[in-house]
Amino acid sequence: MSSQTTALNSGVHAKKADIFCKDEARVDWHSKALWVLREKRDRAAGSLPEWEQLRQLGSEMKLHTLTHLGEYLETFEKNCQANGIVVHWAKDGAEHNQIVHSILAKHQVKKLVKSKSMLTEECHLNPYLESKGIEVIDTDLGERIIQLAKQPPSHIVVPAIHMKKEEVGDLFHDKLGTEAGASDPTYLTRAARAHLREQFLSADAAMTGVNMAIADKGAVVVCTNEGNADMGANLPKLQLHSMGIDKMVPDLDSAAILLRTLARNATGQPITTYSSFYRGPQDGGEMHIIIVDNGRTDMLKDKILAESLKCIRCGGCLNTCPVYRRSGGYSYNYTIPGPIGIAVGAQADDTHSIPWACTLCGSCSYVCPTKVPLDKIIHHHRRLKAKAGKLPYGKRNYMPLVGNFMASETMLNCSMSVARTALRILPGSLLKPFSGAWGKYRELPVAPKSSFEAWFNKNRGQ
Amino acid sequence: MKIALFIPCLVNQMMPHVGIATVELLEKLGHQVILPKGQTCCGQPMTNSGCFDEAKKTTLKLLNAFKGVECDAIVCPAASCLVAAKENFHEFDDSPEAQAVIDKLYELTEFLHDVAPIPAYNKAFNYKISLQLSCHGIRMLDLATPSEQMGPRTNKVEAVLSSIPGIEIVYPDRRDECCGFGGTFAVDEGAVSAKMGKDKAQAHAATGATYAVGFDPSCLLHLDGMIRRQLLPIATRHIAEVINAAL
Repeated sequence: MSSQTTALNSGVHAKKADIFCKDEARVDWHSKALWVLREKRDRAAGSLPEWEQLRQLGSEMKLHTLTHLGEYLETFEKNCQANGIVVHWAKDGAEHNQIVHSILAKHQVKKLVKSKSMLTEECHLNPYLESKGIEVIDTDLGERIIQLAKQPPSHIVVPAIHMKKEEVGDLFHDKLGTEAGASDPTYLTRAARAHLREQFLSADAAMTGVNMAIADKGAVVVCTNEGNADMGANLPKLQLHSMGIDKMVPDLDSAAILLRTLARNATGQPITTYSSFYRGPQDGGEMHIIIVDNGRTDMLKDKILAESLKCIRCGGCLNTCPVYRRSGGYSYNYTIPGPIGIAVGAQADDTHSIPWACTLCGSCSYVCPTKVPLDKIIHHHRRLKAKAGKLPYGKRNYMPLVGNFMASETMLNCSMSVARTALRILPGSLLKPFSGAWGKYRELPVAPKSSFEAWFNKNRGQ
Repeated sequence: MKIALFIPCLVNQMMPHVGIATVELLEKLGHQVILPKGQTCCGQPMTNSGCFDEAKKTTLKLLNAFKGVECDAIVCPAASCLVAAKENFHEFDDSPEAQAVIDKLYELTEFLHDVAPIPAYNKAFNYKISLQLSCHGIRMLDLATPSEQMGPRTNKVEAVLSSIPGIEIVYPDRRDECCGFGGTFAVDEGAVSAKMGKDKAQAHAATGATYAVGFDPSCLLHLDGMIRRQLLPIATRHIAEVINAAL
């Protein structure tokens, strides 16, 4: 586990995936746990005759909103203010963190309870607030587990999916004083609940992420299964909600489209246990919404990348991704792993390798409830990386050679003829050192004597 | 019909038997088959690596091999290469001549389903086969409705094969999960590619089928390497070989 944690933010994807793959039993377990979610999603989606129409509606509604984003954001701000909500704008993660801290500092907040927010992970809010002396408690069970384990999330919906229940049992024994060796999920969940109740009751402020921001109501929607967002937002007098500009939807009907697909696509549930709409502070309280850009308007400028902002963070693309399931959430050099992580994180990836952590199989694009064309976006990132001269795995050196080689029939025919002969007459032991990654894992191809073209010319007399 | 063959470099150099079966089956069906000269790579290894400049020369050379060739259809026994050729031809040449070539491009299964269906098979193929529904064929060419998609389902591959006397068609668990080949992915991401290939090969073998049958030679080459490394009791066959054996 610790080796996985330290592996985050260092090394190309293939290297980290290679380490993850060393424990094959664990890979099988991880792959299966996530595939179960994909199967549940298939059953839930299949139960709605209008599923594909909902995907199309969701896609068109999000594209429409992104096309008129400025207007909707202004309407949202105006309606929020009319509801007594204070709206803040942050151009990047640093500004977001400063705004949050200034609000908390003004109220002398010592302890903040937080419910699931990938945006605050993206902005690295927790370490920032902790450096300012504020205690931050993540209250989603999965988030709390990884917070206690001092790990980042390995999945955007089930952040502790990489941990087995026995490991959670050991962690809770160490941190929460549960019985040694206890790993019954119900027992551990009860222990976590008792621990979290204390935190809710002693917190000075609550913070949540946002699933949808409704422009014409000046309201935000937060979806949880544990009710932790409500426990937080309804107890202390101060509540904060952070959202990316991409969370905007025009109205309640639009939100309803996404509410019908979000949980079905994430975990196979018809809807999350709680879908809470917040549209104003408690009596005598304060409600703040921090709207964050952090690179999103730059993405909007690129027609292909812009579509990644249709994402509603259901995690369905991670669950179906055959590469994510076999390389783990810590192999991506970005807070968000899997296909959507590549789509929104590739340009920030200084190893330049995550766009290649993909076979372009396209399963993610078909799973996506808002039809984000993930495989096309990933393909596009490769092109952008190539244009910038930032190619991984030695491609910058060998690709021009391959290009010339493939374009020359003479070179191709001569060398492939030699290769076929070598494959046929040389013993495997001699070939192995030259066969690289192919031969390390697979048998080399059985080579034919001649090419198809030679056969055709001989037998069909051209 | 007069059919021009598009034989991708991998088939030409490493899997000529796929090309031979394609020629034989099309001729048995009464078509005239020609092989336009000067065919090279479709450019997919380069464009899938983001290297469009490096792909241009070979893509245009392949396109030029078909420009002006008199034929009713251009047929290719490799779905992934066909998709890449279509996209790359379009990327590098927007002339009407290029569009005329693109409009005639068909993957073999697609051709036998949409354009010139097989009237009847005359030989039995008494084997259980496990279908390899490769990604680009199903998700970019609509050869079969992918498992992620809800609603009405089609499956051109099964439709073409199912009337072969004696054939039994089954599917591996996680029926259309990627086999892990992915072009340069197979070497760039060796560990993950191999694990995907191993899982897929085992899923095919677990069906008890004699053959894993597919329409994409590159996936089959990768699966074959995995099957032989794992010593699994199954072998790969291209769809053209199965059809040819039944005609």
